[in-house]
Amino acid sequence: MSDPTFRAAVIGLGRMGSTFDDEIKQGGQFFMPYCHAPTYAASPHTELVAGADPHAEQGEIFANRWGLDQSRIYADYRQMLETERPDFVSLCTTARLRAQIMIDAINAGVKAIWAEKPFTLSLAEADEVIDLASRKNVAIAVNCSRRYNVFFTEARRMVEDGELGEILQITAYAQCNLSHNGSHAIDTMRYLAGGDVEWVFGEMESDDKAAADEDLMGNGYMVFDNGARGFLRGTPTGAAPWEFDLIGDEGRIRSLAQGMETQYYRWVPGGLRGRGLPARAPFPLPTTIPSMGLAVIDDLVHCIDTGNQPRCSALDGRKALEIAIALRESHRRGGIRVDLPLADRSLQILSSGIAQDAVPARIRRLRAQ
Amino acid sequence: MYRAAVIGLGRMGSTFDDEMTRGGSIFLPYCHAPTYMASPHTRLVAGADLHTEQGAIFGQRWGLAPDRIYTDYRDMLAAEQPDIVSVCTTARHRAAIMKDAIEAGVKAIWAEKPFTISLAEADEVIDLSQRNNVSIAVNCSRRHNPFLTEARRMAQEGELGEILQITAYAECHISHNGSHAIDTMRYLVGGDVEWVFGEMESDEEAAADEDLKGNGYLAFDNGVRGYLRAMPTGIAPWEFDLIGSEGRVRSLANGTDTQYYRWVPGGLRDEGLPARAPFPLPLSIQGTGLSVMDDLVAAIETGSSPRCSAEDGRKALEIAIALRESHRQGGRRIDLPIADRSLKIHSVEIGGDALPARVRRLQQATSAAR
Repeated sequence: MSDPTFRAAVIGLGRMGSTFDDEIKQGGQFFMPYCHAPTYAASPHTELVAGADPHAEQGEIFANRWGLDQSRIYADYRQMLETERPDFVSLCTTARLRAQIMIDAINAGVKAIWAEKPFTLSLAEADEVIDLASRKNVAIAVNCSRRYNVFFTEARRMVEDGELGEILQITAYAQCNLSHNGSHAIDTMRYLAGGDVEWVFGEMESDDKAAADEDLMGNGYMVFDNGARGFLRGTPTGAAPWEFDLIGDEGRIRSLAQGMETQYYRWVPGGLRGRGLPARAPFPLPTTIPSMGLAVIDDLVHCIDTGNQPRCSALDGRKALEIAIALRESHRRGGIRVDLPLADRSLQILSSGIAQDAVPARIRRLRAQ
Repeated sequence: MYRAAVIGLGRMGSTFDDEMTRGGSIFLPYCHAPTYMASPHTRLVAGADLHTEQGAIFGQRWGLAPDRIYTDYRDMLAAEQPDIVSVCTTARHRAAIMKDAIEAGVKAIWAEKPFTISLAEADEVIDLSQRNNVSIAVNCSRRHNPFLTEARRMAQEGELGEILQITAYAECHISHNGSHAIDTMRYLVGGDVEWVFGEMESDEEAAADEDLKGNGYLAFDNGVRGYLRAMPTGIAPWEFDLIGSEGRVRSLANGTDTQYYRWVPGGLRDEGLPARAPFPLPLSIQGTGLSVMDDLVAAIETGSSPRCSAEDGRKALEIAIALRESHRQGGRRIDLPIADRSLKIHSVEIGGDALPARVRRLQQATSAAR
């Protein structure tokens, strides 16, 4: 374990960079500290030293909130990287600029990047960042944060230890735009199924949406290389908000209502023709519930020490994007199966997170008042 | 009282109910002869089966004299002039027998599933039955299950809000028990399937006409989307999940549990929490077969369409075939209806139908005793 405290800086001082945790009143999907600045402030491994944002209002709020001198807030992240020489940088800007900033951060010599999702807009951007990061030995964790949620990590452990038997099906009901929060849904499906997606079929919310590059809702069928099959409903899910259902031949785990309930099923004797009954058993409670942000930092520190890939790596971030794009390609091509990987790396989804990103949401609200 | 006869005196025609030790997806009496015995509308008058062993067992079990058991169903139809016939033979002969029964003047047919082997057969039977005004009920029996009937009522009356999704986990061959799964999806959704995408268990299975397992995505005309997993379902045996904007009904473990969810205040960002409420219990639970008979008698007497009609039977088959076509055509969306009416699935139960399973078992027992 490294003893030194790593110098951490946040680029993009809006909601995810700074104040997201203030909105969250209940655990389940999130355990605090969750977003970037609160995590750096709380982690024993890190010291929050600087922030960067082109919008001065954001910087001022950030400095006040996290006790940084105004001199540590930069309008230009390049200047911040050069002056502060951070070990860790968080990328909490609009996704439009994420790839370029990651490339600049890697070239400036950071040890690790904690990037918001989606990882990038285009596959080509993702390829470029991954290539550079691996040449420079920089660890990148993408904040598809359910991989750092103890209920999901326990489910994944049960899969890996064979406790659910052969994994057959992963179903997700998760109303989302496919790149923006779809990156959470798709990444969680991959994480729980424990395999990779070979091909998909997708239906988007409309032909017009599918033809454009803007983020969009859709549904999909996924074929995993370990034999599991996935169904994702990203169109409105009504009374089934953010649900993951992992079905094996021996056991089943359902994460319901944005992670607020986790159900576990095993066979018991009985049932029609004595074939057994699926009975609900208590899901193993964790001995502690770690903060998800601190779990990311622990993971990244470990990766800096060992050279390992983070639990949600840049490769995982690219996979989530590639699957989302493949689902849309399936619709674009008239409803056909689309094999991965995608040959055309110029394909992109303009994540709904980047809409109106010329002025951050908080600034728009401040100006409206 | 309607005079009823059973054609095909094997398991579904006669003794299926003996295997059932608990209710859920079905309630007794369920299969054909026990239903005709119990229904106030019917009297069981005759049976027909090529295999004399089956006939002998049937006659004894249901108290019919040997002369009311026929080896040729045509002789039976001519001699007995039944009002209602059950077609419980192998599906291989179902279409021909239904046509002969219609021509012989029956008022109604209670047909096992799948309705037919090919779409052309289904078209022919439906056409003939309409011209002769014969009611046909297909035994996709979940339409007569009080829990699913209540779920359908809730959906139809808007109690679940806008219906968005139907998911079915039902390991089955897509024609044989797939007809149950697909029909139940259509029933709960209250819409019809416009197009599908399907993946079959293998390219070889998809290329052949034998019954097979597979998964599918179903796009309904009322905006609902369906996902059917008929490949092995592990610990999620026979489950239907009907999701609306306001409520949700899940039928689990072969219908032995029914769950109901509504929104209550709370949740992350006060968007609400889906809470489990008691599912409305039926006031009474009638035998599934008796409900079919009530329905069929109403069809005879009022001209109403049976709750699971011949059209429904054809739809289930057509959707199964479309799922397979999707795979056959390299994995592409297939629009309904299907133009090529020669397409068919050899429902899995017709395998080995030269000799019924019970007769095979009897012969094995006899040869073992020798």
